[in-house]
Amino acid sequence: MSQPRVERVDQVREQGTGAVATQFLRELLGLRREKWGNLWGYVFIAPAVLLYFVFQAWPILRGLFMAFSDYRWLIPQTHGWAGFNGLANWVEMFRDETFWQSFLIAVKFSLMFVPLTLILSLLTAVLISQINNGFSAAIYRVIAYMPVILPISIGMLVWVKLFDVRFGYLNVLLQDFGMANPPNWLGSPKMALYTMVLPTVWSKFGSWTLLFLIGIYNINREIYEAARVDGASGWRQFLNITLPLLKPVFTLVLVLGSGVVSVTEESMLLFGGTTGGPAESALTTGVYLYRTAFIHGDMRMGYAATLSLFLGLVNMLITVFVFTTLRSERA
Amino acid sequence: MAALTRAFKKNLNTNALFVNLTLWLICAFCLLPVVWTISSSFKTRQELYMAAPVMIPRSPTLANYQWIMTREDMSRLPFNLWNSAKVTLGSVIIQCIIATMAGFAFARLEFRGRDLIFYLLILLMFVPRAGGLMALYELMDFLHLRNSHLGLTLLFPSAISVALFVMRQNFLGVPRELEEAAIIDGANTWQLFWHVDVPFVKGGIAVVAIWEFIYVWGEYLITLTMLDFPEQETVSIAVTKLQGWGAHFTSSTLAGYGAESAAYVVAMLPVILVFILLQRWFVRGLSEGILKL
Repeated sequence: MSQPRVERVDQVREQGTGAVATQFLRELLGLRREKWGNLWGYVFIAPAVLLYFVFQAWPILRGLFMAFSDYRWLIPQTHGWAGFNGLANWVEMFRDETFWQSFLIAVKFSLMFVPLTLILSLLTAVLISQINNGFSAAIYRVIAYMPVILPISIGMLVWVKLFDVRFGYLNVLLQDFGMANPPNWLGSPKMALYTMVLPTVWSKFGSWTLLFLIGIYNINREIYEAARVDGASGWRQFLNITLPLLKPVFTLVLVLGSGVVSVTEESMLLFGGTTGGPAESALTTGVYLYRTAFIHGDMRMGYAATLSLFLGLVNMLITVFVFTTLRSERA
Repeated sequence: MAALTRAFKKNLNTNALFVNLTLWLICAFCLLPVVWTISSSFKTRQELYMAAPVMIPRSPTLANYQWIMTREDMSRLPFNLWNSAKVTLGSVIIQCIIATMAGFAFARLEFRGRDLIFYLLILLMFVPRAGGLMALYELMDFLHLRNSHLGLTLLFPSAISVALFVMRQNFLGVPRELEEAAIIDGANTWQLFWHVDVPFVKGGIAVVAIWEFIYVWGEYLITLTMLDFPEQETVSIAVTKLQGWGAHFTSSTLAGYGAESAAYVVAMLPVILVFILLQRWFVRGLSEGILKL
């Protein structure tokens, strides 16, 4: 709406009391339209900006400070500025064996979870894109996305039932096939972490699939036609056309899931509880910091914030790394 | 006839067979837990503990559902559903309103710092939340919004980045000529917004509403942290506390697992319905919103 100013002023006069009032307010504040533009803009964004800064931006800033203070929820003397303790949390973190153990578990879990999810979602997306019938493609899309929309708690609870050592469907099937002692999937420290990978993949791979699928749908059909004329096989088309052109989606998927190391907090909590599974074998850093902040002792939120910030930094490094490698290859 | 045989052969070629077979396997993987739960919720005690369980109950019963919805001493499920409905619908309404208004301003109004503010709102999405949950806990306690559905209803819609992006994208698609005609007719900013632009972006609003509905209905971690009392719990929290039910069944024909499954089915039904009925909007929202980021 970039009309000449004179016209706009005329318009304002014709619009009656409301507009006159705004105009009056504007003059009163000494704000000229050229400088601030349409003041209605601020009114329209105000509710969103207000909620956003209170509930989203502030916790980020507060969390940063919290990470450098000995903040214990149940001890009022440590609240606010009084809790500031410099780098003491970080020194403690580097000496904390439970933390390093949990970090190792989290990394191990992610090294299984991320590649599996990537492969499965890419495979599903490529296969669905091969379906020409619009209706069946839609059905496949809905079904592949179904686990993502279900409440995570229900999804995980059902998997716990399926993995149950005595009555779980999985073990009943295994016994039918003649296995006398089927594994205690979630109950044994050796198996628990590996068992948790599958349901977590189940609950997450649908959203990645949809992103890949949209990426594939956006690739120009003519490129494939040209490749087919040149005699490229389906596999070659995938390697030389689909994969390179999906690079932006790869970045997006990894950035959006940028909690590569901590994205699984919720499912881990639901599986192992705050104890972190049998013999703490599935105590990831996410679960560890949750229990430090909300379950144990004085509710040490400061230390938990430190752990959380550390995870965030690791994730950011990974994201930057992925971003730059994918970028540089494109150039 | 020749065309038919050709079509038949084409469908039967190995490539298509491989594609469909693999997809069926993947679908089975996706649906197994859901189908299993639905099946269990209709089973009697006898069928639940059969040596060789079957997917389709032979003598389906509704007793599990009756039990969870009516046993007030045991099951708080109807209240939990009501809590979930309150929080979810409240969040959806608030997010739709604020995202639509802000999306309009960012797409159509010219004011100082507009683009700067917009990118700030979007970019913060990618900043790691150090101690986000701890800081939120403190903030909500300070505002006296812990243990309050109102608190959750304000907190959830504040994650506005994606919704804002979708709405701005939608408003950018409204034809300029239409607005100019309205301006010549003397419409002010509000009239422009409400009578000209909003009717054009109903699709975008639907997308935002579906996203928010699915997100809030299933939200677990934040809700768990913010609510202390059982009577406030939403279904996604309440279902995790049902494990003890088995012991309270005096009936010889039912089992706790059946009742739990029935509770799961009731709790996931709303999102499944919303998703299936409105999936067209959903996919559209994804392709319009996130992928252009």
